[in-house]
Amino acid sequence: MTLKATARRNAIHAMLFYSGGCNGCDIEAVNALLSPRYDVEQYKVLWTWNPREADVLVVSGIIAWQMLEPLKKFYAIIPEPKAVVAIGSCPINGNVYKNMVGDIGVNEEIFAPLESIIPVDVKVPGCPPRPEDIIAGVVKALPKILEAP
Amino acid sequence: MSDQPKPANAENVVVEKELSFGPVHPALIEPYRIRLFVNDEIVEDCEINMNMVYRGVEKLLEGLPVERALLITEKVCGICSNVHAWNSVRVIEEGLKIDVPERANYIRTLTHEVQRITSHLIFFGHAFEVVGHETFAMRSFLLRETFMDILAYVGGNRVMPSVPIIGGIRPRADLTEGLKRAILERVDEFEKKYTEYVNRIVADPLVMSRLTGVGLLSKADAIKYHATGPTGRASGWDFDLRRDMKEYKSFDYNIIVLQDCDNKARVVQRALEIVESLKIIRQAVKNLPEGPVVNRSWIAGRMDFYTALLESYRGELMHSYALDGQGMIRSYKIRTPTPANLAAMEKACVGDHVTDAILTIASCDPCLACCTRAEVVESGRGRVMSDTEIIRKYGWRR
Repeated sequence: MTLKATARRNAIHAMLFYSGGCNGCDIEAVNALLSPRYDVEQYKVLWTWNPREADVLVVSGIIAWQMLEPLKKFYAIIPEPKAVVAIGSCPINGNVYKNMVGDIGVNEEIFAPLESIIPVDVKVPGCPPRPEDIIAGVVKALPKILEAP
Repeated sequence: MSDQPKPANAENVVVEKELSFGPVHPALIEPYRIRLFVNDEIVEDCEINMNMVYRGVEKLLEGLPVERALLITEKVCGICSNVHAWNSVRVIEEGLKIDVPERANYIRTLTHEVQRITSHLIFFGHAFEVVGHETFAMRSFLLRETFMDILAYVGGNRVMPSVPIIGGIRPRADLTEGLKRAILERVDEFEKKYTEYVNRIVADPLVMSRLTGVGLLSKADAIKYHATGPTGRASGWDFDLRRDMKEYKSFDYNIIVLQDCDNKARVVQRALEIVESLKIIRQAVKNLPEGPVVNRSWIAGRMDFYTALLESYRGELMHSYALDGQGMIRSYKIRTPTPANLAAMEKACVGDHVTDAILTIASCDPCLACCTRAEVVESGRGRVMSDTEIIRKYGWRR
């Protein structure tokens, strides 16, 4: 393991970006990252709210009209190397809000999938995914950060 | 802040009077925007803007078959998913006079109260994180896992249990003997730990001094600003829709009303409400009647506009819709408790120190995901109007 990877390994920070879902994935992610039962800190991943020190951006929710610009801005601020984890069905395919519409046909309010806005490294499907799955997703994103030049 | 013209004697005048933060901020779990107008660290006015996560749920539901609507209504909110699912089926059940088996009502009530406890424990987690006491927040998340497990056992999912369907509950959510025993055991175990937890909170002088006497919302203000649910009940307004719901007729429980009107009252009120919910869960499991769990003999037909009200975890929840001849939904309307509580939160912040403002807002338990129903974009300018602007321009009942 290179020196850089060793240094990075001890300071991985994940940031949760809530882009407008139903709160379900959001609280499960907080559960996974923070709560004593599902503790992502055992993999030396810490939770942060500061995009300038974040390495992993965890995005939950469909991307609502008002959260589109903040999302792009936050992604730009995060320093290289960075990884994006999409949790829940919403950022992956828009879930029911995109795929189950009534008379209006197309829901123009949401900007899912997330891949059309920023590059996504790991997708964790589920509505909502279990905290174990979220932890597995975040851990899968780590090699990209560690092995980056 | 910055676009105000600077006066000539700029050294002596404090220009910065507005503190605004959001939509993404460490103190806010959900995206919303708070503007605090301060005078020397005392909040003079507060404005909360919630239009960040508009998804257009009401519009999506129009024209869907009523059975499929349940999939969307449950995903209106991830904290109170069962409430939205239950209330959306209560509309058609009461509008078309569909009989619901008694066993199904008991299991619906059980799920409702289990999720009420999880919701209130999230509230503790959030409130104590804002206070800065992380140990209490962590312990609250740990205690909550008991009931997340029960939801997973009953419904199959930790967050979206999808228990109610039209005419009863899903057959897979029926309680077996083993599950009943497991629920009772876990509830007993939880109560022991929970009593210790609440005793620790009440005995902690630092936390109590931070909560007591802060964020006052008098009873007159609570009624004036239509505060519902625990926020209103902690201000001495004795109102709970569970009294009028026929599903709750067979249960014995108390409705907690406190007269203190401050942040401490709002925390203690929810702490005591969890104990009452435990009573209801025990009664529902012990007195569970035998019989079928779902009534399939109904046909969706024409239904006039019908409204169902339910006491959710944050207050009064309204769902209403009409059905056309083919059983398709027309004009769905959802009114969640948080918009009613927003004005009360804005009022409760005023007059306190600026550091207590977020705590006061968190103590009213906002759930912004489910309350964003409408957004008005000013044509030509591409800017979303804030709630206050909309109300000033179009009135509240637009």
